[in-house]
This record gives sequence, structure tokens and C-alpha cells, in this order.
Amino acid sequence: MGTFILKMISNNKGQIRTIEAFLAISVMFSVLVLTAPMSSTPDFEKQGTLKKLGTNVLIELDNNGTLGRLIEGGNWTILKQSMDLLLPTGVFYNLTVYDENLQRVNTQEVSNTNQQGLEAVVIQYLCVTQSSDTRFYTIQLQLAWPQ
Amino acid sequence: MIVLVLSAIVSTTNTLRPLMNELPHRNDAERFQQLAQQLLLNEGAPPNWGSLRDVVPESLGLANAASSLPYQLDIDKVSRLNSQNIYSLSYSQLWQSLGVSDVSFRIEIKTLFNLSTTLISTTRRVNETTYQFDAYAEKSGTPVLARLHGYVVVRDYVSSFASSTSSNGHSSISVTIPNSVNGTAILLTFAKAESNPQIVAFNVYTFSHNSSEPLPNRTFTRLNPLNYVLNVTFTYPSEEVLKALVFTYNYNFSLNEKSRSAQTAEYDIPRLLDASPTLLVITGLNASSSFAEWVSYPQLPLEIGADFDQSDNGAKTISFSHIMTINSALYEIVTKWGRSS
Repeated sequence: MGTFILKMISNNKGQIRTIEAFLAISVMFSVLVLTAPMSSTPDFEKQGTLKKLGTNVLIELDNNGTLGRLIEGGNWTILKQSMDLLLPTGVFYNLTVYDENLQRVNTQEVSNTNQQGLEAVVIQYLCVTQSSDTRFYTIQLQLAWPQ
Repeated sequence: MIVLVLSAIVSTTNTLRPLMNELPHRNDAERFQQLAQQLLLNEGAPPNWGSLRDVVPESLGLANAASSLPYQLDIDKVSRLNSQNIYSLSYSQLWQSLGVSDVSFRIEIKTLFNLSTTLISTTRRVNETTYQFDAYAEKSGTPVLARLHGYVVVRDYVSSFASSTSSNGHSSISVTIPNSVNGTAILLTFAKAESNPQIVAFNVYTFSHNSSEPLPNRTFTRLNPLNYVLNVTFTYPSEEVLKALVFTYNYNFSLNEKSRSAQTAEYDIPRLLDASPTLLVITGLNASSSFAEWVSYPQLPLEIGADFDQSDNGAKTISFSHIMTINSALYEIVTKWGRSS
């Protein structure tokens, strides 16, 4: 009888240890699950700055109809040269123009980088041409700082 | 168990530390971004404080009150940031007008690319002298394709030239000045980017023509443009003005004298519809020596505010780059922000 009771106590100790281990693992697991999204915080400061800068540049380029004229004339080289001058040195950009049917319009790259995997911000801008047959273009400007 | 819980706490702390450190800076970044927007997109109070030479704004804003478009700066508000203008505001006055006591700031305004000119050669003939210059347009070392238009001024002699930069950013400029005039000569060059006529840079090169080496700009006069009036303060009472001129990329005119006293003179500046900085030139005589001095309107380039490079309090500085329009021409404005120590 005595031996049986001792065995039972010993078995319970084993169960408690098992429960303890499970609890510990669940604590560790929850910590990892909860903190994983926070550990890779995007650089909000740089992203916010780039978004405002990109919008600023597109508005300035569009304020006298220059942007619409360049798109309608297919002057992609001129558009690229303008972007090179308007954006601060060191900012990577990639500009794509879409028409009303969301078909890509620019036949040449309007970009100063071919780097992949950069953490870029995307600015969408609606450009309305000032010509007699008013056309709408959606401009997608991606901006990134070098890593 | 205890070991596991402790290791969980340690790993949580380590993981969250960068985020916790970043939070105050993120708040700063957002706050500074809003302050930059307030500075550049609001006109301040009173709305026309820039043109009121004795007024210190109650609230600081550089936007043009007369424009309905965003990102348009007032030419006079910008000129009053330049310490060379006698109507300029000090950083202390600007800081008080901004009204945020725990923030320091700096404002830098310049053209979107640089233009430089170098005298290459001088060829003297009997009746005239030809000067050969090299002009170079670049942005951060990258050549800029640009159309050049410029002027040379000696006393009351004015002539113009046109050129354009090649793919390496360089251009050769040749100006010929008759030997019947002599004195300090000024070469004013405007460069308009081929890709966008609103992007304009300028350069002023002073040299001697059949005379002694020119003295530095602002030796004989202080030129203070404000509210489309050029105020000229003479250093010496014996000075005589030969010409007062205004230049933009496309136009040049003589300025009309508005008033004159022994120490000062005022000239009306015409409102030219040209996407270009305006250059104002005064030529004159002081005793037997001639002078030629200049100022740009808006008065650029300028830098005003806290010197963050010298601050050693370890505070984080955040800078924002903006593209703004002043009188139809585009400029780069950099604002830098940090917490006051």
C-alpha cells in the first residue's frame, strides 16, 4: 500500500513537471508571436518624408500642365531628366504611368534604379491633361532611400 | 520554470527595446513634419508680413498669400530670411514667430542645380577684348543639359549671349567688350534645364575690363530688394550711379529711380512674368574707380537658423526636402529640425 502511494505521488510530480514545461513553452511561444511583428518596425520617419516629397514633386511638375504634356507627347527621357533634377540626390525612384484602362503607358523606364528589394513607398497621383480632349492618367511613383 | 520565464522577459525586452527607443523619435518626426508643412504651406500673420519691412510676423509662414496653389513661396518672405538684406529677420525673431519653444530649426533655399563659370582666356585687340568662359551646369556632380542665356555689364554697356550645355554639362561662352569702356565687368548667366523650363540656375562672375581687380560685392553698396523696390544704401557719399538694371532669363530693363538721397536710393523693380530668378545690378563711380554690384531677387542662396552641425547635445536632427515655386521658378528648400537643448 505504502509503495503504491509513493508511486502515485511520484507520477503526479511527473504530470506537474509536464504541465510546467507546457506553460513555459506557451509563454515563450506567445512572446515570440506577439513581438515578431514589432521587431521589424518600418522606418516611419523616412517613409513619411518620402511620401510627402513624392507628392510635392508630382504636384509641382503638374501645376502648369507640364506633367500631362510630357505624358501625352511620350517624352519619357525628358520626364526622367525632370525627376532627376527635382528629387534629392540619393533617392531612388521608379515612375509608371497608367491610362484610364490601367494599361501601362510609358514605353521606356522612368527610373534611376534597377535595384530590387528596396523598402519603397508608393505614391498614386491622378494627372489630368490640359489639352482639349481631357485625359486621365494614374501615376505610380515608387521612392526609396538606398539601404 | 523560473529560468524560462526570466529568459522570456529578457527576450521581450531585447525585442521591444528598439521600438521603445524609436517611439519618441517617431513622435518627433511627425511633429517636425507638421511644423515644416506649417512653415511652408501657411502664409503666417499678417499674411503679407514679407513686404512690410518693419513688421515681425506674429506667426511664421512663408507661403504666398496671393496664390491659391500649394507650394508657392512669397518672394519677399524668402528675401527677409537672408541676413544680407537690411530688412531681414534674425533667427531669434523667426524662432519666436514660429512659437514652438522646444524646437530649433534651419532653413536652406537654393536652386535645383548649380551653375559655375570660369574665365578661360582673354584676347585683347585694338578696339575690343574677347573673354572666353567655361560654364558648367551640374547637380551633385551629374551634368545637366541646359540652355544658357546671359549678359555682360560694364558701366552703361550691356550685351547678351546665348548658348547651351553639352552632355558633359559644359558650355563655352564668348563675350566681347569694346575697349572704349573700362571698369568692373559682371557676367550674369542663367541656365534653364532642357527638361523643365521652370528649373533655372544662375551664376554671377565679376572680372576687370581694362581696370584694376574688382573689389568684393557689397563694397560700395548694400542692395536690398523688397516689395518690388530695390533699396540701395551707398557706402561712400561721393558715389554716383551710372545704371540700375534688372535681368531675368528672357528680359533685361533699366530700373526707374523712385527716390534718391545722399546715402540711399530706391528703384522700382518690374514684375516680370518669367520663370527665372531676377538679378539686379547697379553700376557706378566712386571718385575715379567704377564699380558694378548685384543682388538676386529672391535673395538666394540662403541659410538661416540653428547650426546643427555644431550642436553636441546628441539630439536627433530631422531634415525634409521640398520643391517650392517662387515666381514660377522651382527651388529646393531643405528644413532641418531638432529639439532645443
